[in-house]
Amino acid sequence: MISSIEILTPKNLNEVLGILSSNGGDLRIIAGGTDIVTGLKQESNRFIKTEVLIDINRVAEVKGIGQANGRISIGAASTFTEIYKNQIVSKELPILKKAVATIGSLQIRNRATIAGNFVNNAPCADTVPALLVYNATIEIESINSKREISLQEFLQGPYITQLKKDEIVTRINIPVPPENFIGDFYKLGRRQAVAISRITFAVLMELEKNKINEIRIASGAVTPIGTRFSELEKFAKGKEVNNNFLKTLACKMGDEIIKLTGLRWSSEYKLPVVQQMFYQILRSATKKNL
Amino acid sequence: MIKLKFILNGKEVIVETEPSIRLLDLLRDRFSLTGTKEGCGVGECGACTVLMNGKAVNSCLIFAAQVEGNEIVTIEGIANGNELHPIQKNFLKYGAVQCGFCSPAMVLSAFALLEENPNPTEEEIKDAIAGNLCRCTGYKQIIEAIAESAKEVTSH
Repeated sequence: MISSIEILTPKNLNEVLGILSSNGGDLRIIAGGTDIVTGLKQESNRFIKTEVLIDINRVAEVKGIGQANGRISIGAASTFTEIYKNQIVSKELPILKKAVATIGSLQIRNRATIAGNFVNNAPCADTVPALLVYNATIEIESINSKREISLQEFLQGPYITQLKKDEIVTRINIPVPPENFIGDFYKLGRRQAVAISRITFAVLMELEKNKINEIRIASGAVTPIGTRFSELEKFAKGKEVNNNFLKTLACKMGDEIIKLTGLRWSSEYKLPVVQQMFYQILRSATKKNL
Repeated sequence: MIKLKFILNGKEVIVETEPSIRLLDLLRDRFSLTGTKEGCGVGECGACTVLMNGKAVNSCLIFAAQVEGNEIVTIEGIANGNELHPIQKNFLKYGAVQCGFCSPAMVLSAFALLEENPNPTEEEIKDAIAGNLCRCTGYKQIIEAIAESAKEVTSH
């Protein structure tokens, strides 16, 4: 047994917000539990003081996936299986679908949730690069406030986010990407299944007569937190897509990563892997245009 | 202590329990359903797999309080009386059981797969059991047993 933790099972969002504002002990929200239960078992510093868990699996406001007014709205407690099987996601957000498919095992994907993936801002969160290239915003509520900010702003540093103690992430909103956008996601782990990612990249772009009209590039595990690469994006804009340019862009990505992480003992190995991986993902995203 | 009500292997059960014990411990210690095994205890080996509302889940990652009102099926719940389930029969026939520690969970993962997708490809079988570690068989016999079970299910 994991010491005597109280578990509350509120039935709607108002109850959740009420509990969060009550300030009684160290409260934490639990959905799939794939991070919290393992963290408690391993006596992680992140969870050691937990006194009360708020289970949000019965809260309809944080479930379900819908589309309205040009945006796709994903409930924070949607499981990866629900996201993977959703028709809107399959049609409009293929990069997110691909990222979701690489997570854990079926047993994990049946329980783990999308907000649970990024709400602790672990660098290895696999949905983050996909959500970043889709310009995802997140809705956050407390008993007397409601705000929506970009995921990029929400993620502040390794294991640090903007979320306050009395707040909950309720939904993830994504503008429907234009139909002609192309992109890809790639994850490198030590093995294919149930692996923590070492390096992840996502890329999304719009080409106009083979010229890059817009490009969005994001990393996951390879950088301290999920990051967009605005300088690379600016550099690539307006350039023609051909093999030489993709190689140039991949080399520049290597430089950016070294800038962000500094030289480490592993850099000699990682740098060419990063460049090659990023080159491959660029090639696979633009294969029809090369 | 909380009073917990849920469906276990087709029957409604009520049990008084600490809310923060794991479903795995609840099943083994309170219901003596010891077919559910503890391997790693952190969701990586799949030995504790049970079905929750028809979906394969790690029972080591679920708190008792989260089970309220849900339906749980363990390995003890899939045979028809003394008649083994076709997946269980095929595990025996194809030598998919060696030490047996992963087998209950492996059978349940296969069961959940075939309920949802009666005609899986080999890749789909592999994906369904990717969260179940087996250190004996090398998986080949397990995949064969599941593929054979799928054929039997669809031909009926």
